[in-house]
Amino acid sequence: MVGTEWYVALSGILFAIGMAGVLVRRTAVLMFLSVELMLNAANLALVAFARAWGDLTAHTAVFIVMTLAAAEVAIGLAIIVTIFRKRASTNVDDLAELRG
Amino acid sequence: MSALAFVLIALVIVTGALVTVLAANAVHAALGLVATLIGLAMMYTSLNAHFLAATQVIVYAGAIMVLFLFVIMLLDASQPVTAQNKIPFVNEIAALGAGLLATSIGLIALTWKAPRALATATAHLQDGSPAAVGETLLTKFVFPFEAVSVLLLVAIVGSVVLVRKPVPSVEEAPEGQAVTTGERELGAALLSTPVVERRNS
Repeated sequence: MVGTEWYVALSGILFAIGMAGVLVRRTAVLMFLSVELMLNAANLALVAFARAWGDLTAHTAVFIVMTLAAAEVAIGLAIIVTIFRKRASTNVDDLAELRG
Repeated sequence: MSALAFVLIALVIVTGALVTVLAANAVHAALGLVATLIGLAMMYTSLNAHFLAATQVIVYAGAIMVLFLFVIMLLDASQPVTAQNKIPFVNEIAALGAGLLATSIGLIALTWKAPRALATATAHLQDGSPAAVGETLLTKFVFPFEAVSVLLLVAIVGSVVLVRKPVPSVEEAPEGQAVTTGERELGAALLSTPVVERRNS
């Protein structure tokens, strides 16, 4: 059986890759994809700890995180589509100001 | 689960994540994320979380990624943004920061005395079956469960309100002119007109 620490290390690597993606990518959609990576890294750590302690609480937490991710994606992509209709761009550098 | 299988699945996960972050084409990035998500579902199976593995494939790799691909193709955003990044050295800083973060978390995880799996842990988990997870969700965590369901409802209504085209009113149009609204006026109408008025008009 693979120890918990290896799962946590993999989760750290995944989180770091996601963080780099948020910083590097210039398109709003791709930044969302990177945020999904970070959420999944957290989920992996939660599930690993759930196995170590034999506690189902973390499973419900992961379930709720998945629901939150779905809601976030629905709202975020709707906002991106609305902005794209108005500005014809999803580059985050062009969308830096809040004014309409 | 043997260590070899762990290493192979970890390779799939990390490769998919790197493709997500580095691919020039947005469709390739989304497909890289699908590989990562399916790899994670396999990991969940190895961690006795069978319900979560199924949910991961259905909700994440299925529904959410279809939404992503749909929007990428709808906005024709598959080509990379070629404009120069306005922040100097952001790629180098991001790579360095990610490297440091991954190394430090990895070192902490591997040197820290990780909790040994309890002898009774597997029995407590009940294989992460839907029945066990559902019982925890609906006894100990009823309030978060209900809150999340309200949140989902708000998200659905909100996204529909955000992307729907306002119906141009017949009364305001000049006599004898076809009722059409240009894209630019559409945005202005969205910002200025309250939702209730638009619905009534």
